[in-house]
Amino acid sequence: MNALYRLSKIVQQYNGRTVLELDEFQVPEGAIVGLSGHNGSGKSTLMRMLAFLEHPVSGNVVYDGRKIVDLATGLRREVTMLTQEPYLLKRSVFRNVSYGLELRGAGRGEIESSVNEALILVGLDPDVFMNRQWYELSGGEAQRVALAARLAISPRVLLLDEPTASLDRESTLLIHQAAVKVREKNGTTLVIVSHDHNWLEDVSDIIFKFAGGRMEY
Amino acid sequence: MDFILSGFIQAFVLLFSGDPETYTAISTTLCVSTISILASLAIGAPLGFLLGYHNFYGKKAVRTVVDTLLSFPTVVIGLLVYAFLSRRGPLGDLGLLFTVPGIAIGQTLLGLPIVVAMMATAVESLDQRLKNTLLTLGAAHRHILRTTLWEARYSLILAAAAAYGRIVSEIGISMMVGGNIKWHTRTITTAIALETGKGEFAMGIALGLVLMLIAFAVNFSMSGIRKRAGQ
Repeated sequence: MNALYRLSKIVQQYNGRTVLELDEFQVPEGAIVGLSGHNGSGKSTLMRMLAFLEHPVSGNVVYDGRKIVDLATGLRREVTMLTQEPYLLKRSVFRNVSYGLELRGAGRGEIESSVNEALILVGLDPDVFMNRQWYELSGGEAQRVALAARLAISPRVLLLDEPTASLDRESTLLIHQAAVKVREKNGTTLVIVSHDHNWLEDVSDIIFKFAGGRMEY
Repeated sequence: MDFILSGFIQAFVLLFSGDPETYTAISTTLCVSTISILASLAIGAPLGFLLGYHNFYGKKAVRTVVDTLLSFPTVVIGLLVYAFLSRRGPLGDLGLLFTVPGIAIGQTLLGLPIVVAMMATAVESLDQRLKNTLLTLGAAHRHILRTTLWEARYSLILAAAAAYGRIVSEIGISMMVGGNIKWHTRTITTAIALETGKGEFAMGIALGLVLMLIAFAVNFSMSGIRKRAGQ
């Protein structure tokens, strides 16, 4: 498999403190890559870098053969990320899930079918949830709506940063299933951070362990 | 006490008989306050967004100025606007003194700091996750601006209500810039002041009741919005 991401000599610092140091890190296209490690080990920093939300202080990030020099919107439209506590927009479930599609100029028909499909994929009945408002959802439902919003845009890369850390068993299972299905269906590359070692080992093609801002070999 | 009671009775007679003088003051008030609040929102909402969203050198000083302007006396605003619009003033040629648009300019200046300050606070207190969420869904800067304003819509409505409350009940600007001209620039508050000065309580009470009704309606309609703003 070709490397979709190729990171080399990466150093990231916050307020002068080094939080991540990587000599070499690659994500093969179409793979499911697991990242494990304790809190503060640099996983989330790496995820933000992969999501093009931040630049390293030094080092090179190469995505799809292109060296990243600025965090352009076009790049961010291929990659999306779901965090432990995602933010739902103050609007209906339909408008939340369709937001990314609207940004991409999708037509009404495409939006409706993609939203339907994404909601079904995360185990939410579109007829029941489509018109619900953001404040009418439980924590697990909100997380699944957030995942549906990311799946609807058919991303090339889906980054999941502790997506099930605070969820009940049912929601966790549904999110796990949806993540695997999206790879099977679209060939989406997944990078997953999770403390659920069993799931991570079960689902990942490769797992990288992090400690103290470095990758353990 | 009798004059107060009879004032109330006459007030209801004026209101229910459709007294033209009373209703002209009401319609002038609604007209000028609507223009003022729309102008305050059109100018103040983007300024408040910029102030709340961006960090820049001198931001704290700008916030202090805006917060100070919140308690700017209406007579001082009236004085300044009068000076600018009077024949000798820099905007004297526009002929806006003693006109409804003239009052609207003053009242816009009154509402502006309220909208700017409340909008800036609303944007500052928006969830920090919002920007990252929008970025990871592929939003460009213009989308982030538009969506952030939409996310703060309930706070913006509350800001509008607070500004409207101050605008509709002010007297200094209306009196000084409008001149309290009957059938023309007389508003509810200037009419109350004039009629009370003449010892004519009935119209004063009638207009006072309308003013209270407006304030109640605005507050009542905001109760649901306050709940949504906090969710």
